[in-house]
Amino acid sequence: MAGDRPDQRIDPIQFEVVRSALTQVAEEMAVALRRSAYSTNVKTRQDFSCAYFDRDCRPIAQAFTQPVHLGSFVELIPASVKAYGADNLGPGDMLVVNNPFGGGTHLNDVTVFGPVHHNGELVGYVASLAHHVDVGGGAPASIGPFQEIFQEGVIIPPVKLVKNGKIREDVFKLLLAQIRSKRVTAGDFRAQVAANTVGARRLVDLVDKYGLPDFDRYVTAVIDYTDRRTRAEIAAIPDGVYKAEGFLDFDGFTDRVVKLKTKITIDGETAFFDFEGCDPQRRAPVNSTKAMTFSACAYALRALMAPDMPVNYGFYQHVRMNAPAGTVVHAVHPAPVVGGWETQVRINDLLFRALAPGMPEKIPAATKGMMAQAGFGIIDRVTGEYHCNYEALAGGYGARATSDGPDAVQQHGQNTENAPVEEIESHFPMRVTRLSLIEDSEGPGKFRGGLGMRRDYHFPDDPATFTILSDRDIAGPQGIFGGLAGRKAYYILNPDGPEGEVTELTSKCVIELKPGDTVSFQTPGGGGYGPPDERDPELVLRDVIGGKVNRERAREFYGVVVNERTNTIDEAATTEARKLIVSMRESNN
Amino acid sequence: MTAPAVGRYRIGVDIGGTFTDGTLVDSTTGRVTTSKVLSTPEDPAVGFISAVQKLLEMDDGIAPEAVEHVVHATTVATNAIIEGKTAKTAFITTEGFRDMLEIARQIRPSLYDLQFEKPRPLVPRQLCFEVPERLDAKGQVVTPLDDRAVAEVVDRIAESGVEAVAVCLLHSYRNPDHEQRVGRALRAKLPNVIISLSSDVVPEFREYLRASTTVINASVSPIVSTYLASISEKLRASGIGSELLVMQSNGGVYTAEAASRSPVFMVESGPAAGAVAAAALGSSLGYPNVISFDMGGTTAKASLIRNGKPHVTKDYSVGGVGQSGTGAFGGASGYPIRTTVVDLVEVGAGGGSIAWVDSGGALRVGPHSAGADPGPVCYGLGGTEPTITDANLVLGRLDPDYFAGGEMSLDLKAARVAIRTNCAEPLELSIEDAAHGIIEIANTAMVNALRLVSVQRGHDPRDFMLIGFGGAGPAHAIRIAEQTGIPRVLIPLGPGTASALGLLVTDMRMEGSATLIVRSDEVEPSRIASEFERLESAGKEAHRTAASASGDPVFERVVEMRYWGQSFELSVPAPDRPTIDDAWMSELIESFHEAHETAYGFRANDEPVELVNLRLTTVGKIARPRMRKLDATGTDASVASKGERPVYFAEDAANSGGAHSAGGARVAEIKGFVQTTVYDRAKLPAGAIFSGPAIVEEPDSTTVVHPAWSVTVDDYGNLTIEHSSNAHRSRKVAERR
Repeated sequence: MAGDRPDQRIDPIQFEVVRSALTQVAEEMAVALRRSAYSTNVKTRQDFSCAYFDRDCRPIAQAFTQPVHLGSFVELIPASVKAYGADNLGPGDMLVVNNPFGGGTHLNDVTVFGPVHHNGELVGYVASLAHHVDVGGGAPASIGPFQEIFQEGVIIPPVKLVKNGKIREDVFKLLLAQIRSKRVTAGDFRAQVAANTVGARRLVDLVDKYGLPDFDRYVTAVIDYTDRRTRAEIAAIPDGVYKAEGFLDFDGFTDRVVKLKTKITIDGETAFFDFEGCDPQRRAPVNSTKAMTFSACAYALRALMAPDMPVNYGFYQHVRMNAPAGTVVHAVHPAPVVGGWETQVRINDLLFRALAPGMPEKIPAATKGMMAQAGFGIIDRVTGEYHCNYEALAGGYGARATSDGPDAVQQHGQNTENAPVEEIESHFPMRVTRLSLIEDSEGPGKFRGGLGMRRDYHFPDDPATFTILSDRDIAGPQGIFGGLAGRKAYYILNPDGPEGEVTELTSKCVIELKPGDTVSFQTPGGGGYGPPDERDPELVLRDVIGGKVNRERAREFYGVVVNERTNTIDEAATTEARKLIVSMRESNN
Repeated sequence: MTAPAVGRYRIGVDIGGTFTDGTLVDSTTGRVTTSKVLSTPEDPAVGFISAVQKLLEMDDGIAPEAVEHVVHATTVATNAIIEGKTAKTAFITTEGFRDMLEIARQIRPSLYDLQFEKPRPLVPRQLCFEVPERLDAKGQVVTPLDDRAVAEVVDRIAESGVEAVAVCLLHSYRNPDHEQRVGRALRAKLPNVIISLSSDVVPEFREYLRASTTVINASVSPIVSTYLASISEKLRASGIGSELLVMQSNGGVYTAEAASRSPVFMVESGPAAGAVAAAALGSSLGYPNVISFDMGGTTAKASLIRNGKPHVTKDYSVGGVGQSGTGAFGGASGYPIRTTVVDLVEVGAGGGSIAWVDSGGALRVGPHSAGADPGPVCYGLGGTEPTITDANLVLGRLDPDYFAGGEMSLDLKAARVAIRTNCAEPLELSIEDAAHGIIEIANTAMVNALRLVSVQRGHDPRDFMLIGFGGAGPAHAIRIAEQTGIPRVLIPLGPGTASALGLLVTDMRMEGSATLIVRSDEVEPSRIASEFERLESAGKEAHRTAASASGDPVFERVVEMRYWGQSFELSVPAPDRPTIDDAWMSELIESFHEAHETAYGFRANDEPVELVNLRLTTVGKIARPRMRKLDATGTDASVASKGERPVYFAEDAANSGGAHSAGGARVAEIKGFVQTTVYDRAKLPAGAIFSGPAIVEEPDSTTVVHPAWSVTVDDYGNLTIEHSSNAHRSRKVAERR
């Protein structure tokens, strides 16, 4: 790591200290944001991200929360600085932005960011993105089947929210006037400002400690180091052209599935993601912005690398893609984008499916493959306050070459926590009446997919508006290498109601609930890996005893016969059952 | 201060993976006596009692009734969790939520790892049960508890043969009635089964975190209570009738009875003792900012101490994998507990860690340990795999004839054979190079642990002093400081048992809390006053039952507050005013706004403020033992010289320069055996000064002073060891500022 001149040497200890301290800045921002925020979605579910960019808007350090956001930051910050003009930003200023066609994602993801100055000199930018529970538009929580961007809420080009350390009240009021959950959202905005303030303070400390020239030198060293490692990691991926095609089940309006197509070229130290052949964008909530699609590629590439690889500009510059404008993977004005994450996450599944033949030991079978977004709005009968809630639910993970897919867990760039039942019930007049694994929902395989999850929302006393933005209406997540698909998703109104009141909903809808109604949100099970009849019978038995897989299913799919009385494997019957499955499979081939 | 005739002595016992350390302090003179015996993993109580007996037999013997109290630190709870040996436990929750433990927080422990695993629930799904009942968020009954269904569940649990049951019903932190009824039904039918109710263990909202804490409490309780009962009995048998106290994870102590009931508060008992010891030592010597480095036979632990206080956290997972980037949120690996824990990083590198060559032909050290049995090869107790201790012996850093003060002699030849066969030959290295490689690889792991607690929390290790202790710590501390850039190392007297000393420099702490969750404009000050009074009388009562150990109780009152709508509280010390009235409330609210501004950079004067918890800590101050000054003084260290022996060092300029190269002081290249002066620590006078390379021997540990470091002995016998580039560096820092 020696530089040209002796005083340009990179001291390995100082390198490590600066690198970690930068990440620590982002982590401390995340702590400040989380601890001072108001909405459950931000303070508990961690649906936010924080990062530091250098003065050239290159991402340097990030808090490890939601990779989907982090990938999209890479587009948003440079575009916003360019649009607003770096010279128009002074110390203590912050911009607010969510423009999907200027590097943003869907409107709920609002970024607040500002420059950091040290003795009047620009050091870089600190940014925080939070998924706000409501940004106005056609339904509470601002999610639903919309047909153009203007129905989705307030569109914010980069505007100055904070001037010289103070929130500009007129801008803030105009913003909040568009939003249902004013009090909570105002709290979340203040938390974003707090996070940036903390981050800027810590950065100034760092620059104080090392001096600006040294600080810059080490920031560059961090990027160079990451660049070197990224190239080596890509070189270690087997060269080749990897292709896959798939689809999103439902666009919210038509019965035409949304076609997705990818071609990944790995050639030496370069990786290229091509999305030629994806469907044109639709007047339906399935359009991904360019930034969203980029973050899918970044996630897939990063997941193939060593666990200790840093993620910053040195990495992101190697994520290269072609996402043609005007398609569902690169929406242009005025396409609706609220459900773009549904497409984005399915693209992630697709990228892995393409890569699987080249690295079968690394790639899982298909996962939940949807963001599984649920929102509701309730107007307080006494105060008239409009409450909104938003959350995204877990599902089954895809099975892997040597292990089962975990049950009920987030996937890919999404790692948001569940909202504790006790917490949301203390905020809203509603109850969660069930939160459980869905038995028998796994994709069978030598290693099985994870179980899906069910969460029932009950509104005992108040009318409410419920919104769903999700997918997997048609088919469950696919298995791989002989593994079978998991159970598909279900969205059911009044699942335990009397006959005739049980209604199946679609994955993209807004419904008005009357007091006493219940919505049951049931996410898919993950796909299986390898033929189910090769599964270790002891693992099947464990699932039967735990009630995750029933006896009939154990026999039918896995060819394992479990004695009902003794809860042990009937060896002879199992051998027979497995023979039958193998011969059926062979005759089908 | 004159001590009472009875209760003149205090004993601390710290059980590690390899050794059990005992420390006895004479509170009248400050004299410290230590003992060290091999741990007895199959029944740790055996090692415990032999360490105590050894202490009592020392000198002319101490009357057991003169022992004031015995404080114990133990990893018995953590080990049970890590090794998957928790008691068979059932879980009862509200209908609809059987899978609470399986679903956990629905997140992955590592973002980009496609092979991740969620931690396996401590209760298998077939032992998770539901009962029909429901409270709302205000604690009001929506669905009454179905007693018949409870009876059926209790019957099924009885058939399953569990040793413990954890109960966590929704919203029980608001209203414990349903949980208590389930608890009564369980106790009536299963009198010998441990029952933990979430509303007793940790009455806080967020069901999964409360359930996880309760399940851990229940599932280790049978193990912990059996263990503590056995120790108490053995203590009584040896005539010690005084109180047995247990170190909590937060650095305070509580009674063995409380520990048996609430073992979840002591999961990190052992490590906490070391951090407390380092904090106390650093503070008493005028170094409030230190990094504690405690290396025993099995693991090494690092923790950061700022302003004399170990860093603590409430976002903690037991059995979690240390992971970068989780920040203050705690990882999704392991099992979360909502109790206060000293924040530390532990790596599997101790004196007994085994060196091996992996399938790729790389030399590896740990995580397997030879532990106490069979122990390192050189112990001659049947070990065949070479360990870090064996490598230190081969390099001349340990004296084969002076281990444990000469009580044990080490088999150098056997150590050399083991390193040759297992490491040197497969790698085509000399025995010395292989031994040195083992040490360097182990040091790297420890350096990482140090970085995690310092650099990763944004602190530059160069601004701290390293306190190295544990039996193996002093042999490695200086090299590790060198690699981390830490300019100053302190090796306390009796480093092998320093951690046990930490047990004797802490206070009784008993925490009580009351959940309010009420806006400041909607609560009468009188209600707060009466809640605090209730907590205070409970604290007094708890203190009275454990009174033998400490002085009059002192109360610390804190209000946990937030803006109405936030979920995380700031702890605000209650205003120091005679009565709790409107003025008290105004002062409290102002303090909160200020604390919020300090923490997050803004205050929201117009936002309603919410009072979440009242917390009252009853502190029974335990007088600190006096530190004893050395009798002998003088700068000449040669009076303590035991002669010279060849010791292997390999520090080329680039290596040892590493962190200190900025200082410009370079060490001439050294590789091989160097004639090195060996000092007898007991004979070193206060004020003695000498330079490395040097070896300092004492009965329970050996300090390896590398070249380019110099040692000063302070008035109390501590070794302060500074890098020769230190003076230069300090100047540079000063210029920058």
